[in-house]
Amino acid sequence: MDITLLDNQIENGEFRVEPGQSLHLNLASFSGFPNHEIYVKVLSNGVFKAAFADFSKGSGKLKVYIDLAGEGASAEWHCASICDGTSEKVLDVNLIHSAQHTKGLVSNYGISEDAARLSFLGTSEIKKGAAGSSTRQVAKIVVFDEGCIGKAMPILKIDENDVSASHAAVVGKLNESHLFYLTSRGIPLAAARRLLTLGYLKPIESHFEDEALRKKIDEAIEGGI
Amino acid sequence: MSRLSIENLHVAVKGNEILRGVNLIVEEGQTLALLGPNGHGKSTLLGAIMGNPIYEITEGSVTLDGVDILSLPVDERAKAGLFLAMQYPPEIPGVNSIDFLKAAMNSRREKPLRTLQMYSALQSAYKEMGIPFEMSSRNLNEGFSGGEKKRNEILQMKLLEPKFAMLDEIDSGLDVDAMQVVAKAIRDEQEKGRGFLVVSHYARLYDMIHPTHVAIMVNGRIAVTGGPELIQKIDTRGYEWIKTELGIEVEKQSAMNKQSIGVCAAHVGTEGGK
Repeated sequence: MDITLLDNQIENGEFRVEPGQSLHLNLASFSGFPNHEIYVKVLSNGVFKAAFADFSKGSGKLKVYIDLAGEGASAEWHCASICDGTSEKVLDVNLIHSAQHTKGLVSNYGISEDAARLSFLGTSEIKKGAAGSSTRQVAKIVVFDEGCIGKAMPILKIDENDVSASHAAVVGKLNESHLFYLTSRGIPLAAARRLLTLGYLKPIESHFEDEALRKKIDEAIEGGI
Repeated sequence: MSRLSIENLHVAVKGNEILRGVNLIVEEGQTLALLGPNGHGKSTLLGAIMGNPIYEITEGSVTLDGVDILSLPVDERAKAGLFLAMQYPPEIPGVNSIDFLKAAMNSRREKPLRTLQMYSALQSAYKEMGIPFEMSSRNLNEGFSGGEKKRNEILQMKLLEPKFAMLDEIDSGLDVDAMQVVAKAIRDEQEKGRGFLVVSHYARLYDMIHPTHVAIMVNGRIAVTGGPELIQKIDTRGYEWIKTELGIEVEKQSAMNKQSIGVCAAHVGTEGGK
């Protein structure tokens, strides 16, 4: 099943993925940031995939709790966010592995500009008894201006052996050696920065199937950097 | 005739002086082999000429046909006719190879290449380098093997047509077949009259591309210059004779040449892009 929610269609909500079923939740905000809480429960062998494309100008906190409650359940969360002006955004994505052989990925990419504050929080927890589970967290923020702030604080809590868990957190300017490589081929610095930034955000497009929405996201990315 | 001229070049990394007055000239049509023990400044010289921001020029000049290269931003150096095939080309996530190559090829043209022209240039270059064209849709260098990265460097050199190409250990990571492909591509460019500044430790590459000149860098300076016979001498005798014949004490490799990259942290925060 596919659910696509835009701007103020995004509300507090609870979703339940029945055994063996799949749910794709596509969220996109262009006006205000969704200051809401979303709960998701995934039963055995259920598949939950979510993508959040955020180009809003507002502030707030989006909390997401995903419970991998049944054996073999899996969940993926992908986000790309541009945070500019004086926006203050917090994205708090939590993933709980409660059953065996569950698989989770939380991946957040963001750009912080002007005087904005962007934070990626969230805990991925593998509970006792959830053997054979794997979880991964990625949080990356590029900070563009002197006055902006980026915070990436992914937390892993593991209470079981025989699991695999990894995370990557990077906050910083665009990679100097990447910029050097691109400019050494004759690409002007501004264009090189643009190429690298697009490379950060564009992968979110692949999660949206609706052609018109994809185009709108593409325009928001191109226009936002 | 085009000429790349390096005069009294001093370069430091984090305050440590690595190049201590390098003088070299490479002319159009020449291939200069640059040899020397590890850590004595060969890569530093190439990187500093191209404008890698980790190197600080403290003294001296680099000119290309009279143009002061060191005053130019990196992209302008490329447009002036310089190219650097890097020893460790970085993997660049999210940047598609074709988008990158198009941007690079168009950067030196007033009018962008027509799609068809671009496409056929790319296809034939991929074919000549023995890289499957499907790889052009992958992210730049991402997941490429060591040998694929090096072929990809030479592919870019072919497409960008520099006056002077600097090759930093282009033969490392290449198997025998790939070495033949790369050497053939270099010979083709030599025939077009391009100049080369080539760093390698191995006589095998030099046997295939026939350098016209040889320079040996020791302690951040050019200790000896000469013809191709010097390559043979180093290949058989190493660098010992530098001390016995020239009285130059070869300093130990300095630790400052080693760089570490990569970040992994559970909690990273930064304010204002520090």
